[in-house]
This record gives sequence, C-alpha cells and structure tokens, in this order.
Amino acid sequence: MSILGYIFMIFGAAFLALGGFGVFRMPDVFNRIQAGTKATTLGAFSLILGVGLANPDWLIKAILIIVFIAITNPVGSSVLARAAYKKNVKQYVKEDGKAGE
Amino acid sequence: MKQAVSIVLVLLLGAFIFTALYFADSSPLQFKPYGDADLSGRVSQGYVDKNVTADAASEEPAAVVYGETKNAETGSANIVTSVVVNYRSFDTLGEVTVLFVAALGVGLLLSGKRRRQEAAFQPSFILKHGVRIVLGIMVIFGVYLFTHGHLTPGGGFSGGSIIAAAVLLLYVSDNAFKAKVKAFKIAEGVAGSLYVVAGLLGLALGGYFLYNFLPTGVVGDLLSAGIVPIVYILIGLKVGSEISGVIAGFATEEEAL
Repeated sequence: MSILGYIFMIFGAAFLALGGFGVFRMPDVFNRIQAGTKATTLGAFSLILGVGLANPDWLIKAILIIVFIAITNPVGSSVLARAAYKKNVKQYVKEDGKAGE
Repeated sequence: MKQAVSIVLVLLLGAFIFTALYFADSSPLQFKPYGDADLSGRVSQGYVDKNVTADAASEEPAAVVYGETKNAETGSANIVTSVVVNYRSFDTLGEVTVLFVAALGVGLLLSGKRRRQEAAFQPSFILKHGVRIVLGIMVIFGVYLFTHGHLTPGGGFSGGSIIAAAVLLLYVSDNAFKAKVKAFKIAEGVAGSLYVVAGLLGLALGGYFLYNFLPTGVVGDLLSAGIVPIVYILIGLKVGSEISGVIAGFATEEEAL
C-alpha cells in the first residue's frame, strides 16, 4: 500500500514539474494556463492521493482535498482564461500565419 | 444611539479604572494596586518554572497526555495558540488594532455614497455555479479554523481571512451583489469591544489584563483552554468582517455627482 502511495507521489511530482516547465515553455497566456492547469491538477491529485495511500489515516482527508481541488482549480483557470480572452490578450500566431496550435 | 453606547462604554471604562486605582484593597475583585502587579513573575517566571503536573506536591513534572491531562496551565493543545492568545494576548490585541486602523484608513479614503463598480463583462456560468458549490464549504472551513484554533493549526486570523475570501468570491461572481457593509461594521465593533471586555474580566477576576480566568479543562477537548477559544472566535469574527469591509470598499466606487 505504501509503495503504491510512493509511486503515486513520484508520478504527481513528475506531473507538477512538467506543469511548471510548461508554464515557462508555452508562448502565450492561454497555452500557459492549459499547461499549468491540466498538469498541476493531475499532479496535485496523484501527489495527495499518494500521501493518503502511504498513510491510510489521512486517506479520507486526502480524498476531500482532491474533491476540493477538482472543484476549484478548473473553475479558477477557466475564469482566468476567460478574463484574458475578454480583455483581448494577444494570441500566439505561428510564423506560417495559422493560429497557434 | 451610537453616542449613547459610546458614552456608556467610556463611563464603564472610567469606573473600572477608578476602582482599579483607588479601591484595590477593599474591593472583592482581584485588582492589584498600580505598580504592584508582578508581570514578569506571571509570565516569565511561570514559564521557567513550568510544571504541568496536577498536584504541585510532586516535584517531577508529569507528561501531558492528549485527551487526558486536566487543568494544565493554558489547556490549549496548540502551543502556538497558547502563546498567541494566552501569554501574549495583549500583543494580539495590538495586532487586531493594527488591522482595525488599516481598515479604518481604507474606509476613510473610500468614504462617501457608493455604488457597485461597473464590471467589464458578465461573470461566466462556470464561475457562478462553482462559487455556489464552494461558498458554503469555505465559510464552514473558516468557522472551523477559528473555533478549533486551540486544537489544530489555524486560528482567528486565517479563519477570518477565509471568510473574507468567500465574500470576495460573492463580489466576483455576481455583478449586482452588494454586501451589507453596516453589518460588517457592527460585527467588527462588537467583537473588538468584547475582546477588551474579556481582558477586563480577566483583570477583575484574576488580577491581570486578559487573564485566563475560566477553567482550562481537558487538553484536546473543544471546550477547553478557558478563554482561548472565546477570544479566537472573537478575533475570527473581527478579522473576517474587517477584511470583508475592505473588500466591499474596493469593489464599490463613488457615486457620480
């Protein structure tokens, strides 16, 4: 059980690191938000679930925290992205003229 | 009404100080004459000689057991809280005052007839419904933080800030929302005055300002640690209403004349 928890923790930490990398690597606000949100939501999920599995006393609390993150994190990111879009933040355009991937 | 309340408060405080200064010997209350209170004995020496054993006869200090030890000096399971709201409660009163002065400054700068600031665009469906789900949880969590301040990490300041964040979410998610700023001000004033009243009661019953005069109970119980949870609830209400008032001040703008 605890080994499974550690695997989850490493998985989550890797995703958090990828999310942080994505925030640096991506060209504009929208890409950065999607990198930050998706990667860190999954990363935080597995990190906290890993802590819950490694220490079964905290499992229920960990699941509650995951539920709370599942509600708040996407809402916050969608609000940020919407505000940026409504304020006409410049979108990244590739050199060949097509809109960003 | 306001003036009557303030006059009564000032008269009560004056009577309190007068009795404290001149009738210390004959009064049934535990006032010490001016200059006689041994504060370093109460805090520093008491801390150095710290002895949590129930019977003072045995020299060996007994171990504190969570959920069993009775009548410890502060009775608070959270050591930080026992310092912040018991030994250094006067300092916390000062911190609350600093926050009050900051809120007062915001109120003065942003005074006048106010209406809601015009938003650039309507809040989205996702935000509205997300806030509706999260709001109750946030308020409950804030109240939990300050009612359990003497048991778990957290306390009045963090709990109050979370409640104020809930108010901020209400402002963000609804363009027409207007908080009842007057209720915030009343809650703030009442909680702040009750903190001072608790301190004066400690002065009357124990001889020191903000003395923990209630029985401390079993370490780890919700109803333990004497006045610590009461004071933290008051601080939580005060901080929550103060920061909510500041948020309300910033979210509104002056009525065009």
